Amino acid sequence: MMATTGAVPALQAALAAENAAIFGYGAAGAHLAGSSQAAAEQDWTAHNRARDTLAAMISARGATPAAAQAFYQLPFRVHNASSAARLAAYLEDGVTRAYLGLVAVSDQQLRRFGAMAMQEAARRAVSWRGSTQAFPGLTPPAP
Amino acid sequence: MLAASAAALPLLLGAAGCRSSDAFAGPDPLAGRPPLGHDVLTLQAVIAAEENMIDLYRTASSGVAETPRARLLRSLLAQHEQHLVQLKARLVVPAGASPSPSPGGRASPSRRPSTVSTARLRAAERASAADLMQRLATVPPALAQLFASIAASDATHVTALGG
Repeated sequence: MMATTGAVPALQAALAAENAAIFGYGAAGAHLAGSSQAAAEQDWTAHNRARDTLAAMISARGATPAAAQAFYQLPFRVHNASSAARLAAYLEDGVTRAYLGLVAVSDQQLRRFGAMAMQEAARRAVSWRGSTQAFPGLTPPAP
Repeated sequence: MLAASAAALPLLLGAAGCRSSDAFAGPDPLAGRPPLGHDVLTLQAVIAAEENMIDLYRTASSGVAETPRARLLRSLLAQHEQHLVQLKARLVVPAGASPSPSPGGRASPSRRPSTVSTARLRAAERASAADLMQRLATVPPALAQLFASIAASDATHVTALGG
């Protein structure tokens, strides 16, 4: 599990995950239609809003928000609606993990912000995957 | 002689104008069992709440026919059981103290299946997520991350239950 981290590195990590999700939803959306495509557009918009929020939070702390990459390597080939949905779930899992880093900072408001963002991403992941997880964003140690 | 010395130590220190706590840098060995720390009390309360949730799901799913709803309830129950394992693994209670949490008590086992509606499960999941969100601000980072992850899981359960 992650130890305490600084606020800006954790915010930058969340921003990087949001940028990757924005790119990934663009790739996924091309293979979706109807209500699935509408859902992907809605989620893409949510990630754009989150990116802007994170960038503003980073700037407010005197740092420069890291720019998005021009291209992201997809984790697997996306060629139909099924793989597009799988990609969307994969992206949301990555975003959930990134926000988990914010929960480890000492700032209580940031912790809450990160935890709320985890819930939103986890819910989106469930809508794409069709099943819930016991520990979204976290790989718990063997008890 | 040693036992007599230990028993007499506070008196000797008192006669010298010292409290026993002045003589040691660490915890006062003569002050009795230390109170449970905030993290332990928080974990005990969260464990008790998770156990209640598990009771609720067991009641809701017991004796229910093999339906999609029954399968969903069993799946969510299994995830709550995983939450409980992880929470208990982080609970370290000082020797001599009771490891069993008591705040709130366990849910009544006499609840009949028909009395646990889906709406009630949704409300319990929402309440659990909200409680964990409140608590994660005041615990160490690793525990806060576990609480946040479980809260996210609970939030997805609300969605899975049609909320």
